Formats: sequence, structure tokens, C-alpha cells
Amino acid sequence: MKRLIAYGLVLLFLLFATAPYTVNAGLVFIAGIAMTEIIFALSWNMLFSYAGLASFGHAAFFGVGAYTAAVFLKYDYGLHFLLVIALGTFLGGVSSFVVAIIVLRRASGIQLAILTLALSQLVVTLIGYSAFLGRDEGIPSIPRPVMEFGLFRIDMNDQVQAYYFLFVMSLLAVALMWLLLHGYVGRRMKAVAIDPERAAFVGIDVWRVRVFAFTIGGAFAAFAGCLLVPWAQIVTPDLVMWLHSAQPMLATLLGGAGFFWGPIIGVLVLSMVNYATRTFAGLSEVLVGGILLIVVLLAPQGIMGFLRRIVERSSTGKPAMVEEQA
Amino acid sequence: MILEANGIEKSYGALKVLHGIDLSVDEGETFAIIGPNGAGKTTLFKVLTGESPANSGVVRFRGQDVTKMSDFRRARLGFGRTFQVARIFPEVDVFTNVAIAVEARLSAEGRSPGRWWDWRASSQVALEVEEILERFGFARARWRTEARYLSHGDRKRLEFCIALATRPALLMLDEPTAGMSPSDRREMTGLLARLKRDGGVSIVMTEHDMDIIFELADRLMVLNYGEALATGEPAAVRRDPVVREVYLGQHHA
Ligand SMILES: Nc1ncnc2c1ncn2[C@@H]1O[C@H](COP(=O)(O)OP(=O)(O)OP(=O)(O)O)[C@@H](O)[C@H]1O
Ligand SMILES: [Mg+2]
Repeated sequence: MKRLIAYGLVLLFLLFATAPYTVNAGLVFIAGIAMTEIIFALSWNMLFSYAGLASFGHAAFFGVGAYTAAVFLKYDYGLHFLLVIALGTFLGGVSSFVVAIIVLRRASGIQLAILTLALSQLVVTLIGYSAFLGRDEGIPSIPRPVMEFGLFRIDMNDQVQAYYFLFVMSLLAVALMWLLLHGYVGRRMKAVAIDPERAAFVGIDVWRVRVFAFTIGGAFAAFAGCLLVPWAQIVTPDLVMWLHSAQPMLATLLGGAGFFWGPIIGVLVLSMVNYATRTFAGLSEVLVGGILLIVVLLAPQGIMGFLRRIVERSSTGKPAMVEEQA
Repeated sequence: MILEANGIEKSYGALKVLHGIDLSVDEGETFAIIGPNGAGKTTLFKVLTGESPANSGVVRFRGQDVTKMSDFRRARLGFGRTFQVARIFPEVDVFTNVAIAVEARLSAEGRSPGRWWDWRASSQVALEVEEILERFGFARARWRTEARYLSHGDRKRLEFCIALATRPALLMLDEPTAGMSPSDRREMTGLLARLKRDGGVSIVMTEHDMDIIFELADRLMVLNYGEALATGEPAAVRRDPVVREVYLGQHHA
């Protein structure tokens, strides 16, 4: 299984790395969107699988990042775009920290789900009142930034440069999340996700770990939001809506929640379905629903779990015991 | 005196489970709580460790009032515990189960559990985990086994390792040998005996197996319907006529 994952990752890397030269412009655009959705989905699964928190309003933090970037690019405050990303990520972290402090005091499970959902819809409503943020219409035709780095410059008006900027930033985010979740911080979070009471009895401050996870998850979601803006060149309240909050959940369920890489597989499947059905309105919802139904019924552990079952069966015939640190 | 409880009362709704329990445990002592099923032993454990609050009464740890202290703070103070049905982290491997506890202890002590970006346990943590696992009979070949594949006895043993990894001053063991095979039971008794000999830790345990109690306990308390029938040295308690009647009688008739 480890080897399978490694091959899969290399293949994925090559596909994304060569996309501007191998596929048409439409697919390249989808690939760029998919990269931001991958970060978004991984950041949600960080809460879900590694801290035992199911947030139904995660898109709110994506929105914080996206609107921050949109405002700075649209109204041209002249801030270096890397600093804009840093600021958006920071604001995402701060807002999710505040939400965590409020929400995690008491709520868990279904209460947490409803509270987070309500808070994110509140953000949608607030945006609707703000002319500065474009009300329900959002902020359209956002200019792309040009970044000076002294020795070189990145001009995102160039599609290829913009793509590779997104690519590198996404790799960075994924690598950071992987490292964080596989070190002692991840182990501590995992303990809380598996059995919070047991974790407390080895001296882990469960509440603090959850607040931390929620904050970091929100920051990464905001980071994804920042990246999307110069690529899509438009932000709308849809990015904050519950339907967008549901995307990482679908991706995680599809790909396999118990696996770090699961949400990536999920995002890819969802993106492909959306792309393949782009000319038939409504068909993608039906297909996504159908696929989800099949996955939940046949492979409750998601696509990754399904693959693991096959690998285990064909290689040893008994459960693999050493797997899944990857 | 490491642990002291006074006037502990506890009800679940209308059902009163503990009727004013007093107990005290000396440093280094092994204190056993026995009593028939449903006597309230586990409930008393929950109150002492902070898992569930008492309705009234005071719990002190080395003189400090911990009655209102949360479970994780008590754990950091020196409470280690195991559960009647072993609770481990089933989705991670044996090694990681213990590493989690070692790292939690280091953090609580204000020391670094390693570098945040390093996916391997730090060498200090690894060393400690390896030592504990070896001491308690987990062969190196099994360290990467996911804990959910362990047998019942091994789960109990692993949970014991987890508890010890926090270096508790007071170990609270709720039926450490419950549901074990006779050989596992003997092995666990041996481990406890050795732990006791090595010193430095006080133990509070519940147990149904009288042979184990009489082998390990310095003092014991007999609990019946939430009331302490007798407290004292095992031999003295064994001679107590009331105790003989309600409890020991069933076993040693
Ligand atoms: N969470 C709970 N809610 C309501 N009643 C409970 C709860 N936990 C325990 N009880 C009741 O409290 C009484 C004492 O239970 P407890 O588990 O403390 O006994 P015990 O001495 O540990 O028994 P055993 O030897 O079977 O482990 C029992 O009558 C039990 O049914
Ligand atoms: Mg019990």
C-alpha cells in the first residue's frame, strides 16, 4: 500500500507539474482550481480526522482569505501579493481562533455542526450588506498581481507563470500539513480524535488541542482562498456558502477520511466529474450523488480504504499491520 | 499521604451510588478496593481521577485540594490510570500509543517533545518508549502493529505501558486483570509486584481476584452498596466477620 501511494503521488505530481504543456487551457484552469480545493479539503480533514471535529462552516475561513486577497488586488493597495497571502492566512487563523474559543467551549458533534454552519451563513449575510465586498454579486474582474522578487519577477497575467505559482504554493501547503500531522503535534491531535477522555488521562489538554487544530485548519483554508483569487479573478458569496463547506466533506468521504491523502483523491474525482459534465446542467450533482452513494455503500473507508483492502487481499491475505503512517 | 478522600457522595440521578466514602493512601502504598459487582468501585475511581464529579466530598492529592480539578490537570499532577475495559488508541500502532503518552508528559513538564516537523519520535522519546515496551514484554517486531489487532490481555498490558509512560506518582488501576487468561493474569500480577518493589509509585486498584489482592495489597477497603464496610490490612479485613458474611463468604465459603 505504501508503494502504491508513493507511485500514485509521483504520478499526481507529474500530471500537475506538466499540465500547462500537456492539456488544454480549460483543463489547466480546472487543475488550478483543484489545487486550491485540495488544500481546502486537507485543511478540513485536519479537523475531522486529526481532532475529531466536524465543521460544517469551513468555507467561512476560505472566504476570509479569498475576500482579503480580492480586496487588496481589486482596490490595488500596492501590497506585495505574498504579503497579501500572509495577511489573509493570518486573518483566517485569527477568525477561526475566535470561533473555536466561542464554539468549542461546550459544543461538539451535532451542536458544533449546526453552530459552525450558522456562523458561516451569518458571514454570507454580512457580505450581502457590504457594498465594499460587492454584496451578493461579489467582486468581479479582479486583476492579477505582478510580484517582484529582486532577482526575478512573477507576472500572474501570464497563465503559465500563474499556474506554477499556484503549484509551488500548493506543494508548500501540502508539505507543511503533512509534516505537522505526522509529527508529535499530529500524534497528539490523533489521540484526541480517537478518544478524548483517554487523551486527557495522559495529561493532554483536549480543549487546547482542538482550538489549535481549528485555528490551523482555518488558516490553511484561508490560504487556499487567497490562492484562488488571482486564478479565478472573481469572488462571490458562493465561496462562503454551505455548498462550498460541503465540498471538502464530499471529497474526504469519497477519498477516505482515515488517510492523509484521501481528500486529494476525492477532489480529483469531483473535479473530473464537474469537468466531464460541464455542458449538462444538473448532471454533475446527480453523478456526484450517485458516486457518493456507491462509495458509502461499498467502501465506507472511501477510495483509499477500498484500495487498501484490495492490496491487502492480493498480497498477504491477512490484514496489513504496518501500514498507514504515510 | 498521597491521596485522601473525605465524605465522597455520588448519585446517578435518583440512584445513590456512594454514601460518604473516606479513604487515605500513603506514599508508596498499594491500596485495594474490593466489593461485589455494582458496589461502586468504578464510580469511586471516576471521582478520584476527575472523570466525573462527586456530589459532595473532598479529594486531596499530597494535601492539595483537587476536587474541582479537571482530569488532564490531575493527570499532569501525577495521576495515572487504566480503565476496567482497556482504553488504548486502537487506530495507531503500539509504539505510537506509548509515544503519545511520553510526549504529553514532556509537554506538560514544559520540555520539548521533539521538532514539530519531524515525523519520527525524537530520540529521547523513542528511547523511553522502547524501554517501556521492552520492560513489559512487547517484542520489537510488534511495535508497528496497529493496536486494534492486539488481544485483550495485550491491550491491558499496553494500557498499563501508556499509564506508566506518564510517570505517575499514583497509579489508579481499575481491575488490571479483568477478563484475562490465567497466564496473562499471572504475568500482570508479576509486573505489578515488580513495580511495587521498584518503588516510587503508589497504587490504588480494584480487583475481584482475591489471590492477587492478598499478594499485592498493603491495605484494602471493602465496599458494599457504596459504603465502606471495613478498611485495614488484608489479614485483619479477612478476619472481619461482617466482611466474611457479605463478601468474602461468597468466595471462601
Ligand atoms: N453512568 C451511570 N449512570 C447510571 N448508573 C450508573 C452509571 N455507572 C454506574 N452506575 C450504577 O452505579 C452502581 C455502581 O457501579 P460501578 O460501576 O461503580 O460498580 P463497580 O463496583 O465498579 O462494579 P463492577 O465490579 O461490576 O465493575 C451500579 O448499580 C451501576 O449500575
Ligand atoms: Mg467497576
